Amino acid sequence: MTTTARDTLSADAWIRRFAASVRATEAQLTALDQKVGDGDFGSNLAAGTTAALARLDSLSSPDDAACLEAAANAFLDEIGGTSGPLFGLLLQSLAATLKSSGATTAALAEGVADGLAAIRRVGGAAPGDKTLVDALAPAAEALRAASGTAPPARALADAAESAWRGVRETARLRARMGRSSYLGERAEGVPDPGAVGVGLFFASAGGVVRDLAPHLG
Amino acid sequence: MASYFENGSDALVPDALQGFALAHADLVTLDPGHGFLLARDTAPARRVALLSGGGAGHEPMHAGYVGRGMLDAACPGRVFASPHNRQIYEASLAAARPGGVLHIVKNYTGDRINFGIAAERLAHRGVPCARVLVDDDLASDSGEVATGRRGTGGTVLVEKILGAAADAGAGLDDLQRLGSRLAARCRTLAVASAAHTSPTLGEPAFRLGPDEIEYGVGIHGERARRTAEKGPLGPLVERMTGELLAALAPEPGCTLLTLVNGLGAVTPLELYAVHGELVRVLGAHGLAPARCLVGDYATALDMRGFSLTLLVAEPSDLAHYDAPVHTAALRW
Repeated sequence: MTTTARDTLSADAWIRRFAASVRATEAQLTALDQKVGDGDFGSNLAAGTTAALARLDSLSSPDDAACLEAAANAFLDEIGGTSGPLFGLLLQSLAATLKSSGATTAALAEGVADGLAAIRRVGGAAPGDKTLVDALAPAAEALRAASGTAPPARALADAAESAWRGVRETARLRARMGRSSYLGERAEGVPDPGAVGVGLFFASAGGVVRDLAPHLG
Repeated sequence: MASYFENGSDALVPDALQGFALAHADLVTLDPGHGFLLARDTAPARRVALLSGGGAGHEPMHAGYVGRGMLDAACPGRVFASPHNRQIYEASLAAARPGGVLHIVKNYTGDRINFGIAAERLAHRGVPCARVLVDDDLASDSGEVATGRRGTGGTVLVEKILGAAADAGAGLDDLQRLGSRLAARCRTLAVASAAHTSPTLGEPAFRLGPDEIEYGVGIHGERARRTAEKGPLGPLVERMTGELLAALAPEPGCTLLTLVNGLGAVTPLELYAVHGELVRVLGAHGLAPARCLVGDYATALDMRGFSLTLLVAEPSDLAHYDAPVHTAALRW
């Protein structure tokens, strides 16, 4: 397979699909966060994606990097709390690497790795702390492993699968960071809402490339 | 309990910023959209901008320290809440100098995260940015607290000295190192005999008996880990100072800076009595303040309490401390 990301990945479609998945699952995200956090994660993420859509609509040249940058700034500028802006950091790093290298698997891998590093610098969470890092780190690893050979479609599908594995793992963990850390064993059995958000993010990308790939030869 | 004078709780901070900017128009300009204050002029030789911020309710911190010889910009959040990363980011862009911008951050989780996000955004814009984390509060010095010591009153001394060093042309790395060294040699301990008035409820945030004090409060009205018996001032200051000295272990004859800081509702009469006791206790340990500050510098709304800060300085720090400063709350 020699498909390039340019053929199969549209950042605009990715973000729009992410926004749709967040809207469709907002109630479930809220219910999850009511169990382990302060209950605002669903609305936080929905506010971020809604703000991102508004910015996408007003872009004059919606190339991939510009779309990701617009979404990043929406999350960073307009959303309170911490998890929304942390998604902004991930989007910002993706925008930066896609801008310099185009939407290749290698650029996606580098962008996600940079975003993960930024999020860890800012929030201080390590894998195993029951945060969104537990879904993002395996997704970054899957992209890194794929970046030499796999086309972006395949690499993003792998990243989504790895992210969901990480999400399921968070259900077993006891939180050491974030709001749920105050709950001790009461948060056990519940997956981390931020990690679920990361799962939705990569699943949305995987969905876009799966839909498009067969039609683009 | 009296409630606050305000046009509604959401209006108080923006109203106060507006009023502050009008009162000190010679020193600062206000960006009302993003909610930060920018110094009108700091030393032309300054290569790096100094920026601080944190919750409102600590007045004169942070706005009161914007001006010549101290901060280039300050971003106050809502009462006791971190500023938004956008506020910090926009203020940093507005204040940044060719050598970049130094964030002086008090160690509270929200502040760390929001300043951290702003720093990541600045890095993407190619603006050099570094951070000094002030974590002087001895009461939160515990292995059980993963978040580390809180940042409180010592911030004022750190900002003053860094301001003079920045005026002298120090670069970002040097300022970051200097700030970290100062923070490491600075400890604060605070007590309160009555809580602040909660802005949302208009009632005391917690209640104490007439013979009780909270020993080891922060600056957000947090209760201390323990409630102690009140007793007379002398033994209280002795105990507090003893704990600070045990933590810092200063050599006799060292350059010691002290701050006796009111938390909002303690009278100057009392604060000077505290200072007298502090000097007496230090003297008994063979120590004397090289410089001292007494007054309300980092408050917690109307909390009835005070904090003691000791900073063990180098002689070069003393020269920076003595350098001229002209801000709303600190000038010499």
